[in-house]
Amino acid sequence: MHHALRDPYHPASSPIHRAAPPVKLVLAVAFVLAVVALPRGTWPAHTFLGLALLVGALASRVPLSLLGKRLLAVEPFALGVALLALLQPGGLHVFLAILAKSTLSLGAVVLLGATTPFFQVLRALSRFRVPSLLVTTLALLYRYLFVLVEEMGRMQRARRSRTFSRSRWVTWRASAAVIGHLFLRTTTRAERIYAAMCARGWRT
Amino acid sequence: MRARVEDVNALEVWHLSYRYADGTQALRDVSFSIAEGERVGILGPNGAGKSTLLWHLNGLLPEHPPKTPAVWVFGVPVVEPHLPAIRAQVGLLFEDPDDQLFCPTVEEDVAFGPRQLGKPEAALAAWVREALGRVGLVGFENRHPSRLSQGEKRRVCLAGLLACDARILALDEPSSGLDPRGRRELVALLQGLPVTQVIATHDLELAVAVCPRVIVLDGGMVVAQGPTAQVLDDEDLMLAHGLERPHILRHRHPH
Repeated sequence: MHHALRDPYHPASSPIHRAAPPVKLVLAVAFVLAVVALPRGTWPAHTFLGLALLVGALASRVPLSLLGKRLLAVEPFALGVALLALLQPGGLHVFLAILAKSTLSLGAVVLLGATTPFFQVLRALSRFRVPSLLVTTLALLYRYLFVLVEEMGRMQRARRSRTFSRSRWVTWRASAAVIGHLFLRTTTRAERIYAAMCARGWRT
Repeated sequence: MRARVEDVNALEVWHLSYRYADGTQALRDVSFSIAEGERVGILGPNGAGKSTLLWHLNGLLPEHPPKTPAVWVFGVPVVEPHLPAIRAQVGLLFEDPDDQLFCPTVEEDVAFGPRQLGKPEAALAAWVREALGRVGLVGFENRHPSRLSQGEKRRVCLAGLLACDARILALDEPSSGLDPRGRRELVALLQGLPVTQVIATHDLELAVAVCPRVIVLDGGMVVAQGPTAQVLDDEDLMLAHGLERPHILRHRHPH
């Protein structure tokens, strides 16, 4: 089966891949905190952090184009917030600051994701005593994201194979039905997953 | 009064009825018993109540465990205080393996049951390796469940149940979605597992290959039970309940 959703992990042999996951997690979090804490307009410091990230990315041997593509995929969310800042007086500075900070932070997270299998990030989180309920929720989210995307792909294909009209309206209505149906399927699946957890001794 | 261990059946179902909240009467007065080590097929058309029955065997149904039990596992009634122990003994294999494999890696998934049962962390890795070995998936520890084939997913699910030290396996349509090779491997695996097995299926060839005895369910009722070859050879009975006489039996006639 072809997977529409790719695992963020990009296997390669590099010092960054080999580094202990907890260390990488701490470094990534520290990097994000540093970026967030930098006062607005301290461009040399921003540049320095950007270069540090670039060195890390190069050392990881993950193709820069891949990292860039992923960064672009998550950037619109940050861009939306940044664009709102443009509406206030003196907004350009705020806009640039938000853009720089979000790009650097997201870059660090993208690099972490590409060089560390997600389950190792989860293990590191539980080692740092992050509440187990949160770690479990993240693990379930990660696991079923793939199932969900695959299911959606199947339903979309089935819909397309029976959609003969080229009208936008028909397509939209059918898509809405797919989403509604997916929601129903997801809730019944959630019930079955919970039953499966109980069947193997899960107690809340 | 205590029965001797060898006298106790692995499973005892006695006058079990169940109605879903929407009013569907899924099971009507079902009774049967299964001895330890037996492999019994539960046959029946879609909607016959097979899955509902399996969900009763480890107390996932009814939603509120009854005061008066209808199911006994090794002589222990399936009622609230016994549920954790019973769920460890009765391993339930769900029809869709994606429902059952909810952990990010194979290793963690197989370890989920034993971890809940209080198995020490230090022993878990070896325990998981042994369970994976029993289903022929050595070295799959760090694989991502969504990257496995349907047959591999099923076998990981089985390993997860074996790792709980389940003495009874309740399998819901274990061969659905498997290609012929996956199915063949599953049959060999089930034949070789020395635990009691209850297999709900409408894959009649699987039933012939794995189960010496079958129970036919339709409309929530037991309509026939007995030795597999004998029950499945009754063409009228099979057709009346949405099944058919499997080819494998047609070619086995002595004349």
